[in-house]
Amino acid sequence: MKNRLEELRKQRGIRQEDLAAALEVSRQTVGSLENGRYNPSILLAFKIARYFGMSVEDVFIYEEEK
Amino acid sequence: MTRKTREYFTAVIGLLLLVVGLYLAKNVVEPQGFMRALPFVCVGLGCGAFGHGVSDIISRRAVAEHPDIQKQIDVEKNDERNISISNRAKAKAFDVMIYVFGALMVSFALMGIDMVAVLLLVFSYLFVEGCAIRYRCKYDKEM
Repeated sequence: MKNRLEELRKQRGIRQEDLAAALEVSRQTVGSLENGRYNPSILLAFKIARYFGMSVEDVFIYEEEK
Repeated sequence: MTRKTREYFTAVIGLLLLVVGLYLAKNVVEPQGFMRALPFVCVGLGCGAFGHGVSDIISRRAVAEHPDIQKQIDVEKNDERNISISNRAKAKAFDVMIYVFGALMVSFALMGIDMVAVLLLVFSYLFVEGCAIRYRCKYDKEM
């Protein structure tokens, strides 16, 4: 699953550390999410979407496997 | 029991076990049966419990004056990715353990090791497998 986390974070000029602190996760988790190495739980996905004031679908892009 | 009480309790119990173990090792002349091993078991358990308790006390005191560090530790501990990694690592280790146990049982049987030792190993293997099935059923109902 792809996401626009890095793009949204950079648009707002937020550091990974600050985003991690706001979401109460580690900085490594934010990094892994941005790289697409880790897919968040539904709770964290909602938390991220709410933090950016967007819907989950706007932040995370679901692609069906071929 | 509060966290603080538990830490002191663990340290004191550990210290007592250590002292009792050393006393037994020094003063029991020509021990028989399980008394030969008991002092060293007490020393081992005592050292472990004492170290565990004292380290908890020290780490709690160290972070007591730094709430920001405490918060960071809590975040790292409850971080969903860290928990996920830990659970995956445990699951992998469990899979490996099943093969290691199996190989060990076959080796012991072929080496002609005492039947009691082999049976103990077989029952502990079955117990672990039983636990896995039990938790699978439990989580199946819960989720």
